[in-house]
Amino acid sequence: MAHCTSMQYEPVAEIGGGAYGTVYKARDTESGKFVALKNVRVPTDQDGLPVSTVREVALLKRLDQFDHPNVVRLMDVCATKRSDQETKVTLVFEHVDQDLKTYLDKAPAAGLSPDRVKDLMRQLLSGITFLHSNRVMHRDLKPENILVTSGGQVKLADFGLARIYSCHMALTPVVVTLWYRPPEVLLQSSYATPVDIWSTGCIFAEMFRRKPLFRGDSEMDQLGKIFEVIGLPPEEEWPTDVTVSRKNFPPLSARPITDFVPDINEQGAQLLLKMLTFDPLKRISALNALEHPYFQEEEALIQTNS
Amino acid sequence: MPLQEQLTSAAARGEAAGVEELLRAGAQVNGVNRFGRTALQVMMMGSSPVARLLLAHGADPNVADGRTGASPLHDAARAGFLDTVRLLVEAGADPEARDGARSLPVDLAKRNGHAEVAAFLEAL
Repeated sequence: MAHCTSMQYEPVAEIGGGAYGTVYKARDTESGKFVALKNVRVPTDQDGLPVSTVREVALLKRLDQFDHPNVVRLMDVCATKRSDQETKVTLVFEHVDQDLKTYLDKAPAAGLSPDRVKDLMRQLLSGITFLHSNRVMHRDLKPENILVTSGGQVKLADFGLARIYSCHMALTPVVVTLWYRPPEVLLQSSYATPVDIWSTGCIFAEMFRRKPLFRGDSEMDQLGKIFEVIGLPPEEEWPTDVTVSRKNFPPLSARPITDFVPDINEQGAQLLLKMLTFDPLKRISALNALEHPYFQEEEALIQTNS
Repeated sequence: MPLQEQLTSAAARGEAAGVEELLRAGAQVNGVNRFGRTALQVMMMGSSPVARLLLAHGADPNVADGRTGASPLHDAARAGFLDTVRLLVEAGADPEARDGARSLPVDLAKRNGHAEVAAFLEAL
């Protein structure tokens, strides 16, 4: 890991603080462009950085070599020794000056066109497929870390950091949004890549609604809001390794998803339900979602046009 | 955190509601954060709602970056956000300002493939 040429990146504003370190908007004084600096404080011993950190950083660098169009570039990584016990690892990422939240807020009153939603979704799922095929899960997908360039290109940010952070999580409590969390995370059951598909489903619905689908203010409230839409799952689907009992929730049945997302078309509604499936093992994968008829419809149209 | 820090951070995150609240609470629109930057300099360039708010409250659009000489108009043009470019120009941002590398905003728009922004700036 190189040492930072600290003069090259000049912070201009703090954009995120939290449990694991600080995020800055900074300027790369060589190119003049903005970058995002993510600092992680890592405890060190006489052998230097922990193996887990070195491994995660190596994985991120390897991912970057694929140059995937729908994930932000990792431009630089550097380590600065702070003391005998602590090293600051700085990850320098490409910065895109617009996120999906802003993009949706800016959309005209009538909302995004169905084609625009489909294009954004295709790019989003391509990025997720890429991460998942490299065994990286994002874990915290939300409109704030889905970036959209001025040309409409989607780029995922903040992926792969969860594991670096979780090894060295300080005890500072941070407010994190629950709105995009899948049931298995809310229930504190075991989880894997399907978590990202749930979040993507919530975001898919939000692209039409332009407001979040499930706006809970606690874990239990969030689960309650989810079941009001998808219904209370059957007993046999309730995970066995959790303390929250299914009996805490009223026996609601599923309501038509179009009650909540009225502008979605039929294929879109089918795909959305496959993403908002309670059982993570039955939830559609990112790759299969890309192959869903929802995305084929438009391609057929393009073929007839050409 | 002092109001100035909060204002610049909210602007950089593109949080229009937060920016509005902080301005109402008395944050100085042209005040600088601990990095010596104003909110307009560090705002999320794609957030025209934030740009509109800051400019409506009298944000100076012609502050250049102390290190690179780039103005907000240079940064918005480089990133290709036409709505923000337009707002900045309407508020008096100088399209003829050169950054430390002698580039005009229009040069940066062209170099980064933002034809619409380049056309808008050239037509001024």
